[in-house]
Amino acid sequence: MNESGTRSPEGNRSDEPELSCEESLARVYEYLDGELEASEHEAVRRHLQKCRNCYPHFDFERMFLDYVHELGAGEESRSGLAERIREMIAAASG
Amino acid sequence: MSIPAEQRQREFEGEALVHLDALYGLALRLSGGDEPRAEDLVQESMLKAYRAWDRFEVGTNCRAWLMTILRNTFINEFRRQKSRPTAVEFDQVAERPSSDALYEADPEGRIFDHIIDDQVIAAIDELPAEFRVAVVLSDLEGLSYQEVSEVMGIPVGTVKSRLFRARKRLQERLYEYAVEMGYLK
Repeated sequence: MNESGTRSPEGNRSDEPELSCEESLARVYEYLDGELEASEHEAVRRHLQKCRNCYPHFDFERMFLDYVHELGAGEESRSGLAERIREMIAAASG
Repeated sequence: MSIPAEQRQREFEGEALVHLDALYGLALRLSGGDEPRAEDLVQESMLKAYRAWDRFEVGTNCRAWLMTILRNTFINEFRRQKSRPTAVEFDQVAERPSSDALYEADPEGRIFDHIIDDQVIAAIDELPAEFRVAVVLSDLEGLSYQEVSEVMGIPVGTVKSRLFRARKRLQERLYEYAVEMGYLK
């Protein structure tokens, strides 16, 4: 029997690697955008629960993203545009 | 079955033209604040939408359908021009180390209560095209990384790195504005 064969997958469960601050911050946007795999998301979340340095930084980045997202609303087009489109459509129908 | 021309025009006015401002807003951001170009883009997209109107199912999300047409129209043009100057600008940005100056100066994000939207929009417009398009699609339009990757024809990993750098670049610009305006020292 090979000794290494005795190590069962369950044995590693509580042994998941901790993320460093640098590793967590490198994932900040993927984390806030909800784009991380579940296990990685969880690893970042665990880091944030413990780390007093990273938590405020993530919070700041969330405020920044919320701010940018709110800029998404439409912008008023100049008055002639709708008219030109109507004319184009009428011409395309004819 | 094709719809009679008059009914088609009426339907299009009622369902599609009402989204003109939203489309124009997207076109303007994609084209970096270039108004004539944004208008051309909206006109071309509206004409395409009108020609394809038979394929639009009334009652489904017309705004989203129009946005997709506009995005595709923009991206086709963008890809045709891609080999030209923007690549140089892009590399210059990509090589600069990103900075957390804004966070370090204002960790509580008070700046977001003071800054004027136009300044942030100007900062987005100033981003090199490859970054700007990623930011507009992801942050202003809410597309997922996978969707941005499909629209732009680049790998998801590249979407991530562009968004990361583009957002840091925006923060750097905001920091500069904030210092200029006296909000931060």
